Amino acid sequence: MQVFNAFMKIMKKKVVISVMYLWVFAIIGIAIAFSDGGTALFEQNSLRICVFDEDNTPESRALCDFLDKDNELVTLENDRDIILDALYYDRVNYVLTIKKGYAEKLAAGNTDDLFESMKMHDSYSTVYMGQILNEYAGTVSAFIAGGNDVVTSVGKAADVLSQDAEVNTASFGEEDNAVLSGNASLFFRYLPYIILGTVMSTLCPVLLKLGKKDIRFRTNCSGLSPGSYMVQLFAASTVFITAVWLVFMVIGAIINGGMYSGTAWLAVLNSFIYTLFSAAMTVFVVSFEPSNLVLTILTQIFTLSTSFLCGIFIQQEFLGDSVLAAARFMPTYWYVRVNRMLAGEEPFDSSLAVTSLLIETAFAAAFAVLAVLVRRAWYGRASAVTA
Amino acid sequence: MKNTVVKAENIIKRYGDLVALDHFSLEISEGEIFGLLGPNGSGKTTTINCILSLLSFDKGSIEIFGKPMTPTSYDIKKNIGVIMQNVAVFDELTVYENIDYFCGLYITDKAQRKQYVDEAVEFVGLEDFLRFRPKKLSGGLLRRLNIACGIAHKPKLIILDEPTVAVDPQSRNRILEGIEELNRNGATVIYTSHYMEEVEQICTRIAIMDKGKKIAEGTKDELKRMIRNTETVTIEILGLEDRIKDRISTLPHVYSTEYDGTKLTVGCSGGKHNLVRILGVLQENDLSFGRVYSELPTLNDVFLEITGKALRDKED
Repeated sequence: MQVFNAFMKIMKKKVVISVMYLWVFAIIGIAIAFSDGGTALFEQNSLRICVFDEDNTPESRALCDFLDKDNELVTLENDRDIILDALYYDRVNYVLTIKKGYAEKLAAGNTDDLFESMKMHDSYSTVYMGQILNEYAGTVSAFIAGGNDVVTSVGKAADVLSQDAEVNTASFGEEDNAVLSGNASLFFRYLPYIILGTVMSTLCPVLLKLGKKDIRFRTNCSGLSPGSYMVQLFAASTVFITAVWLVFMVIGAIINGGMYSGTAWLAVLNSFIYTLFSAAMTVFVVSFEPSNLVLTILTQIFTLSTSFLCGIFIQQEFLGDSVLAAARFMPTYWYVRVNRMLAGEEPFDSSLAVTSLLIETAFAAAFAVLAVLVRRAWYGRASAVTA
Repeated sequence: MKNTVVKAENIIKRYGDLVALDHFSLEISEGEIFGLLGPNGSGKTTTINCILSLLSFDKGSIEIFGKPMTPTSYDIKKNIGVIMQNVAVFDELTVYENIDYFCGLYITDKAQRKQYVDEAVEFVGLEDFLRFRPKKLSGGLLRRLNIACGIAHKPKLIILDEPTVAVDPQSRNRILEGIEELNRNGATVIYTSHYMEEVEQICTRIAIMDKGKKIAEGTKDELKRMIRNTETVTIEILGLEDRIKDRISTLPHVYSTEYDGTKLTVGCSGGKHNLVRILGVLQENDLSFGRVYSELPTLNDVFLEITGKALRDKED
């Protein structure tokens, strides 16, 4: 068991990377679990507005009334220093001066130079207020141009602009069909990213170390058969990836609020198959004997690209057809499909679930076979070069 | 009659159009320190790799301990120790763990392995560094660790492929002494190098290789007898006239004279008192001279005379 023991001893030195990934993910997972998933995602903002009406006509007063509906009108002394103080200390957000001749200009259909404004900074609210005023003046002007008198036009414009759009948070899921809790489904959604990252960044350096040219040479010279060597390496790798997977499953169970039940076990199986794929992918990458720098870059490329393209970081609903078509050639896509069914984000289809799991398994097997082929070709070439 | 440990016959190894080993044959007896000497790229490492069955070859046969050597000859491999020029150890393991790991590839019994590892540690003198990691060791100590990893399982045949490359003279001497001690303890040694001084110092028999061929084989004395040169006399002298140089050329046993303006080099083949006769000619002509050297032939002279080129580049 020399190779097995050496694997574990080297792994001990590298496991800090795993622990780092684990902590980051555990913290994110727990934060998700304990976060308030409240529905108050949208709220209407109102500004504190001070209006100086230099025109003092029914039209200008109508504008004041319009602004008063959704905002708080504040009274200030018309003194520049006082106004600046009020803006600075946030006692007022927007200072509007309706200039003399406002009503006359409106009646003439001229909407230029109707207002002056002062604001502390260009927050979206104050910019939006500027747009509302322009829109208001433009609408009034349009109604007048349509043959209405000024008073009617002002009233109609206020009515039109007072219509609020109703905002609802849309859910793509059919929550009644979900077999995983919301937090657990989020956990399982992000799991491929973290599993692939953990396995690649931890297992790769250990396998590379054991397969280093000079070490391999020495091992090949020994009385240890390649078969025994591979069995020990396989056993050690299996122990490692199983341990990593189990740790994540325990975290998942905590986030789920209890042990998985019924169809939820499919998520567990799904993650296990994905872990196998991650291991096969790792062995495939190791076959090329990359340097540490290249390995780090590859790990980031694989984990991030699959996460962005296959629906982990961005829901599959938001991805274009061409992206999804390409993503089908990645096992992560099929993992996400299964997870989406379990999260109730799409109708559960058992045949699709089984197909997805089989496709993931096929990817794992394909990468394992590719790894063997590359290894043979690579080592054959390497020995020819070094001899 | 000693047993044959390694027997290679007519090995041909090609890499495409390049013939790395060209009808190479070799026979090494038990208890020998056999030197494979040759310039870089002469085929020494290819020979070793073929002997260890790490490389297949196109033609020929190799027997070790009287049995054919194949990639699956694990019973043979168990009795071979290999020490390469590159240090092959794990940076993550301690000195002790490293030796234990490589010894464990051969010895499965824990108690026996512990004893062997302890003996190997003592042999290379790393007792005070057992818990050190390789990165904390100096270059010389690292080489000793490399050797300990290769010999801990007490192999009967030890193959050392240029183990002293980039090693300081002190560590080099210690390594060479260690090899001789291993040999005294019963191990047969194959030693490859392009440092002729090392090979001359420790090897009982030597094969000189060039371009994949064995161009000479024998003890160092046998090899030196193969060439015409028996003595090279070098004299530092200024203003040597051609007539005096020609006079020296006619002396008995002198077969070559070269003068570069400051140094006269005279090649002699056999005979005694060559130096006295040459200096006599200089005295007759009342010429003063500086330092005088008389050198016996080296393996480099052997290589030079056989191949027409130096064994080792000056920068080596």
